[in-house]
Amino acid sequence: MKNLASAVMLDEVTAYLSNAVAVVADHDPDDGEHVTPGELRRFLAGLRLLQGVPFSYLVPDARLLPLESIRFFYLDRAWTDAVTQGVLSVGTITTADRAQLEAMYPAIRADVDQAERVQRRRTDDDWLDGAGGTVTGFLLRSKLVSGWPGLHVRAYSRDVLPDDALSTVAETHPDRMKVLRLERLAPAVLLVLIDGVPEVIHIEEPRQGIQFGVRPTTSASQVRVQVRDVATGLSKPPKNTLNDTNSVVVPFRRRAPGVIDMVKLAERLRQLAPGAGSTLEPNEYALQMLRFPYRQVFGDPDEVDGPKFYDLDAFAVTVTATNWATELRHHLTQADIQDPNGEVDG
Amino acid sequence: MLPPKGHFILHSAKLPAVTAGPYNLLSRHTATPFTVADEATHVTVSSPRYVMPVEQILSTFPPANAEGAFSDRLPQIVLKRRTLPWERNPAGAVEPSSTPWLALVVLAENEGATLSTPTPVTSCVTSGVTLPVPADRDVEQGLYLEVTETVKNKVFPCAADLPLLCHVRQVDVTDTELAGGDDDGWLAVVLANRLPVYDTANDKPVRYLACLVNLEGQLGILPPPLPTDDDGFHFELAQDWVVLNQLKPGPDPVILGNVDLEGLTFPMPELRSPAGRADAAHARAPGAAFGARVASQAQAPTTLDGTAAITSARVDAQWATTASVKAASVAAAAADPDATRLVRDVMGNGFRFPISLVAQEPTFRFPVLAHWSFTTAGADTFESLMLALDVGLLGTVDEPDPAAAPAPAEPPEVVQTGHISLGHRTRRGDRLKAWYRGPLVPFPTERDAPVPGPGGGTRLPVAHAADQLKRVVPGGREDLGLAAAFEIGRLLGLSQLSVVSALTRFRAAQFGAGRGRTVVGGIVDVDVPTLDSLDLHDLGRFVAVAVLTDLAADPITKLGPRRPLVDPGRELDVDGALDEIIAGGLGLDLDVVRKHASAVGIVAALTQTSVPLAYGPGAAELDDNATAALRATLDSEVGRLVEIAVPRRQAPIRRDRQQAADGPRDALDDLLDTLGEEDDS
Repeated sequence: MKNLASAVMLDEVTAYLSNAVAVVADHDPDDGEHVTPGELRRFLAGLRLLQGVPFSYLVPDARLLPLESIRFFYLDRAWTDAVTQGVLSVGTITTADRAQLEAMYPAIRADVDQAERVQRRRTDDDWLDGAGGTVTGFLLRSKLVSGWPGLHVRAYSRDVLPDDALSTVAETHPDRMKVLRLERLAPAVLLVLIDGVPEVIHIEEPRQGIQFGVRPTTSASQVRVQVRDVATGLSKPPKNTLNDTNSVVVPFRRRAPGVIDMVKLAERLRQLAPGAGSTLEPNEYALQMLRFPYRQVFGDPDEVDGPKFYDLDAFAVTVTATNWATELRHHLTQADIQDPNGEVDG
Repeated sequence: MLPPKGHFILHSAKLPAVTAGPYNLLSRHTATPFTVADEATHVTVSSPRYVMPVEQILSTFPPANAEGAFSDRLPQIVLKRRTLPWERNPAGAVEPSSTPWLALVVLAENEGATLSTPTPVTSCVTSGVTLPVPADRDVEQGLYLEVTETVKNKVFPCAADLPLLCHVRQVDVTDTELAGGDDDGWLAVVLANRLPVYDTANDKPVRYLACLVNLEGQLGILPPPLPTDDDGFHFELAQDWVVLNQLKPGPDPVILGNVDLEGLTFPMPELRSPAGRADAAHARAPGAAFGARVASQAQAPTTLDGTAAITSARVDAQWATTASVKAASVAAAAADPDATRLVRDVMGNGFRFPISLVAQEPTFRFPVLAHWSFTTAGADTFESLMLALDVGLLGTVDEPDPAAAPAPAEPPEVVQTGHISLGHRTRRGDRLKAWYRGPLVPFPTERDAPVPGPGGGTRLPVAHAADQLKRVVPGGREDLGLAAAFEIGRLLGLSQLSVVSALTRFRAAQFGAGRGRTVVGGIVDVDVPTLDSLDLHDLGRFVAVAVLTDLAADPITKLGPRRPLVDPGRELDVDGALDEIIAGGLGLDLDVVRKHASAVGIVAALTQTSVPLAYGPGAAELDDNATAALRATLDSEVGRLVEIAVPRRQAPIRRDRQQAADGPRDALDDLLDTLGEEDDS
């Protein structure tokens, strides 16, 4: 007969559990095999992504996130681990319970690490495996969020895309990082969590068909139209500013503010646009007036201080094939990829 | 030449082969051996003239009834048929011309423009003007736009502007974003020539009405080119008719009701709405009757009902910039069964001044094929807002500008690690300051690393109570970030019953098995096996079965020695000589046995003496002697038994009585009679 002293029992239980920890208990046909049951795992993964956490815990003082501001951050995993431990402490009453929890905790943490990466997975996305690394993100508080609810947010681990590249190309780029959470916490506050540390983040105006319009200038009562090359459709450089070499001032009717004098504007555009003939045809005129969705790039290391305008309309390929091949080779050498033959690709 | 996906091709114009209108078609055959008479038929090439069919309009920008920052975008309407803007010659000639007959005119509220109610098409143009071929009409009643001369000269496009305002776009039909549901990928676009500017001077949103007008026969009315001004990007009404808002009709039209306003609607006097809320600005606007009806339908009288849920103010009500009553009334009209007509009708609210009655200058009418209204609410565009964003890391606060006025409240106390000082009320009631840092920090942090655990190996530190995670910073203040995280996690877990039950089940399945194993092991020396799968519904049964299996495997040590299979018999009580008893019991002849026993010993004699056995089946051969002997023995035995059973003396009397009482006679009765006679004899 064994001695039923409590100390012995505790040792027995913990010794048993050291074997029981590797026991696979949850066989989910979609998710694979885990130790933690699926419901618990998904709830904890949601908490890791701060779902359900009151906003005052994230931003304790409103002055940390003033109006019209964007704030970038890293996610503190110690904090989210504390939240997980808080959930697991529900029902853990006796010393035996606590010992069991301590024995199980590494397996639970590994399970939840993996679950948080697939929380926002679409059906045809890759299944991300393994523990996630650093999670970063930003909070955007601005009228942009309330006025344009369908903002596009993309994060890249390396700035490989020219800032004016077509965004349809950018969707499937291999350097594109996964957005773990993109949510409007309030009508004017947007929280975005990104899996990893990005080098650049693109925030883009939602598309609404093709629009025509003018560009605002520093003067409140003047607007300009940036001139485009009639043959290629590209904007006339310089890209960042509107000055008299690449844009024209829009003439309005006297004493009729807001009403554009189209003929005069067409004439001014014709004088400045490269490739225009003796008259500006209606389709050429429409080409000059086109306005594409605006894209703001954060974190581009090549950029210097100053207002940034990234014109999105590229009607032609901007990177030649040879350049692309050179760049690819350069990146491959950096990554030190092994040949199937076992040699290092130099 | 199809454009690739994501691209489009712009064309200046797509002129049709013939313009719209009735034609005489003369058909003549030549080169036939016989003569064929000419045939004169009529062909009508139809095209919209007074109403644009809804299926021809692909989209509009700005979207109908939208509120947004549209100051820098030109309103446009996209039509599905590529030749629509050139299907009629505005000058009235037959051959197609590159000047389109459609123009998009944008008018602000209170500019004195009048959008009529449906009227016969003959009065849809300026009086004195008849359109070429008046019989060519697609509908009998249409809408018209009436403007004063001043407004027309300021807002309408010049004749030279018109070709620039229309163009054709060609896209790939399968490109859903660009084609948007068109059937052939060719679209005609009509632009406006006026930017819907925001009123920055008064910081008020401005409501605009965009109308697609028919310029046929009235090209001469369009304004000539005027001098220009580069600084025209601000808001100003083309003609200020705000006073018409206060216009009240005299009693005559209302009481007599016989004033022919030629399709104009007069602003009706205010109706008292049952909700009791007098929205004064709304009621003053024309079309107030409909507006008041709509308002009363939209707002149910509020009562305090204990059974109903208390509705709190919506969160985004606090964030709303300007609640547009008119936009809400359009939305309310959309719920009406007659929505298709009503929505357009309500969008015209605010543009129904009876201008022709009050204007001092000539007014002009243009047929309106399509119209929609929108509001410019804000001067900020996406680009301007993005450029004005303040970029930084969370947890940093800008230094207050020393030149600026001091802020009303104290700036928050923030340190480089991202901690912020907040007020803290301890359990004892003291009010202190504590440091707090949320999960969002301005630099990368490290996660808890495994520490060496008891009995070798590593373990991760796990907190079991929030107080375990409180840290004390040098200086005496506490750092409560992790403790707050623990507590909110615990509360969130407790707030959801499904999570609590999942945890309990998890704990019972995973840990309960271990606990059961250890307890059972302590009581009976039994090894409960480890669990392969925790898909258990009945843990108790599992443990019981495991215990029983273990017991059954080795019962002698676990339970005890086995019971013998056979019970020993009872002790025999033997008195007298043993050989007599055995011989008698077995049916042996005792003398033979004794004789024999003297020779070989009693036991051997017993074994050698054969026991009389009965014959097996078929083994006995009965001859007549044996049979007779057996019969004789049987008869003597039966007789002896009968003598015992039936006394002789009373036999005759009882026999008679029995004969009468019993049934028919049988063999036994005969035998008994025989015996009775024998006795008698």
